[in-house]
Amino acid sequence: MSVQRRFAKFLGLAAVGAISIGLAACSSGGDTGSDADSGELTTVGFVAVGPEGAWREANETNVQDTFTKEAGFDLKYAPATNLDQKSQIDAFTSFVDEGVDVILLSATEASGWEDSLERAQEAEIPVILLDRGIEPDDTSLYVTRIAPDNVEVAKEVGAWAVEQFPDGGNYITLEGPAGVGVVNERNEGWNESVEGSDLVQVAAQTANWSAEEGKSVTETLLKANGNDIQLIFAQNDEMGLGAAQAVEEAGLEPGVDVKIATIDGTMAAMEALADGQLSYVHEYNPLFGETALDVVNKTLDGETVESYIIVPSEAFDSAEAAQAVLADRKY
Amino acid sequence: MSTGARTNWLRELIRKPYFWGVVAIFALLALNVLKDPNYLALSVNPVNGNLVGNVVDILRASAPILMIAVGMSLVIATGGIDLSVGSVMAVSGAVAMVFMKDAGQSGSLGVALGAIGLALLVSAVLGAINGVLVAYIGLQPFISTLIMMLAGRGIAKVITEGQNTSATNDPFRWIANGFVVGLPVVFLLAIVIVIIVGLVVRRSALGLMIEAIGINPKASRMAGIKPSGLLLTVYILSAVLAGIAGIMSVGTVMTVDVSRTGYQMELDAILAVVIGGTSLAGGKFSIGGAVVGALLIATLDKTIVFLGISSSATPAFKAIVIVVLCLLQSERVRSWFSQRRKPPRPTSAPTSVPPTQQKQEVTA
Repeated sequence: MSVQRRFAKFLGLAAVGAISIGLAACSSGGDTGSDADSGELTTVGFVAVGPEGAWREANETNVQDTFTKEAGFDLKYAPATNLDQKSQIDAFTSFVDEGVDVILLSATEASGWEDSLERAQEAEIPVILLDRGIEPDDTSLYVTRIAPDNVEVAKEVGAWAVEQFPDGGNYITLEGPAGVGVVNERNEGWNESVEGSDLVQVAAQTANWSAEEGKSVTETLLKANGNDIQLIFAQNDEMGLGAAQAVEEAGLEPGVDVKIATIDGTMAAMEALADGQLSYVHEYNPLFGETALDVVNKTLDGETVESYIIVPSEAFDSAEAAQAVLADRKY
Repeated sequence: MSTGARTNWLRELIRKPYFWGVVAIFALLALNVLKDPNYLALSVNPVNGNLVGNVVDILRASAPILMIAVGMSLVIATGGIDLSVGSVMAVSGAVAMVFMKDAGQSGSLGVALGAIGLALLVSAVLGAINGVLVAYIGLQPFISTLIMMLAGRGIAKVITEGQNTSATNDPFRWIANGFVVGLPVVFLLAIVIVIIVGLVVRRSALGLMIEAIGINPKASRMAGIKPSGLLLTVYILSAVLAGIAGIMSVGTVMTVDVSRTGYQMELDAILAVVIGGTSLAGGKFSIGGAVVGALLIATLDKTIVFLGISSSATPAFKAIVIVVLCLLQSERVRSWFSQRRKPPRPTSAPTSVPPTQQKQEVTA
């Protein structure tokens, strides 16, 4: 009886082994096909961030809609689990092992990518960074980075703030999670503009990109400073929208007593800007799937591209400006 | 005589497992007062007569943690653990938001009640799956709720199609942001629910049976307690409470953020339960302790922002407070200090120690 059972188990194991070998053969077969460029699909591994907010949603949908089967691509979408870098590195490594043709990478965190990128380089798989950069920024490790320029965008927000408050004022910054590249870049750009003006930063706290935390943090910071805050710089829309609610609940009027500036330019933020809840929204253009497609094609054809491609973004500083674009806003 | 009675009372209090939690809350509040003497000041909003103040904010922030901590303390008492509460919060929030959005932003009370009912129902189903896996299939609670923790966030993403979803509905919003006789609704609601749960488990034999399962499952079964049904009930209750926490959490901003709502809240809940003096090994539980733990975590979170501790140092600050607290709670660490202070032990039995010396020992 027990011998029989053991034998059955062994058979099962053998079957699993056979299947996995078969699968491996399948995938390698697919690769040689595409390498030979015989009209097969180009496989693209997309190491993505996953659900994070409306901006990310628009960005990743745009990429997925661009790299379609009709356009000749087989896009493998691998979102991170709960914004965890570890899961991204795992997905990246498995794309390298699989031998995809190109890897698109939107890193959740800037540091710690050297080893993975070197592995991709050894396997001669070009890596294109979407949106977020890496630190240290070693341009030899990747083909190019396609992104709106965070530093530039934040600089414009800062310039607007300085212009709005010529006599100075107190402001707070709602940041994303500590250590994330975007946060550092947006701080850098903002500081460049604000330095030397009379604006005083009374606090800078993380609200983890979330509206709920944005509200909770703002509520406490307003109390900690006796409501003496004239400006809130929220590094994304969600936190700014949360902050607007906290400002209202503290008995102040957003836009009059406290001006809120945010970056991203999602639909909800545009509506809030048109409503007067927010005072300034700088778009951080997520729709660069086409640019990415262009770069991928060029790279596969052996052409060289710039190591940093900036996607242009617009600023909206009034309710009217927001109203004008609200109708055909894609995200 | 009276001094002896007083030291006994004091000693009783210090022995309470959540005593140090209460001390820590006051210490944190004192720290805030040092920064701003008006920290504890409460004022009345002249427009609507609501109380305004930092303490009110803490009470509001503590409500969702209170809910999941109470559910968690019951689960832990059975010798299990529920890692899925954070994800259940996200699912419940997602169900409520999507329901209200699809109902066409009407803002009526009926839609709000429907959203709440449906959210709690879905939460209960998720809890029932946990309960069945643990009680009837016999999986480890850690594993079955871990599965639900991972699956839950996935379910929330499916429900909202991966997007952060907002809706407008005034009655729903009122639950998280409203005030009744000057006090925040969300806190009153949480306290009422805690009291109901407390009464049900402590005024009936339910609490005793839950503890019995946690202390010795075999002996309790021999004493005639059927563990399966009880376990199922406890996991469903925990999930429903997490569902309520989810509603409170998304209600504050009327947006569900599928990757952030309830994120790592299970750890806050476990922490609250442990601070409250419930052993993770199961057995005796204290709902009052869980309440203290939840209040402490809310106070700690708010203190970090109020003091302006930089974002990168926040986790370290939180960890230090918790570690110190756990050390203070530990019998062994406390005994090191008291032994060092005590004179060499006399040969006679400790009962013969005169009362004066006993007092010295405590006040020293």
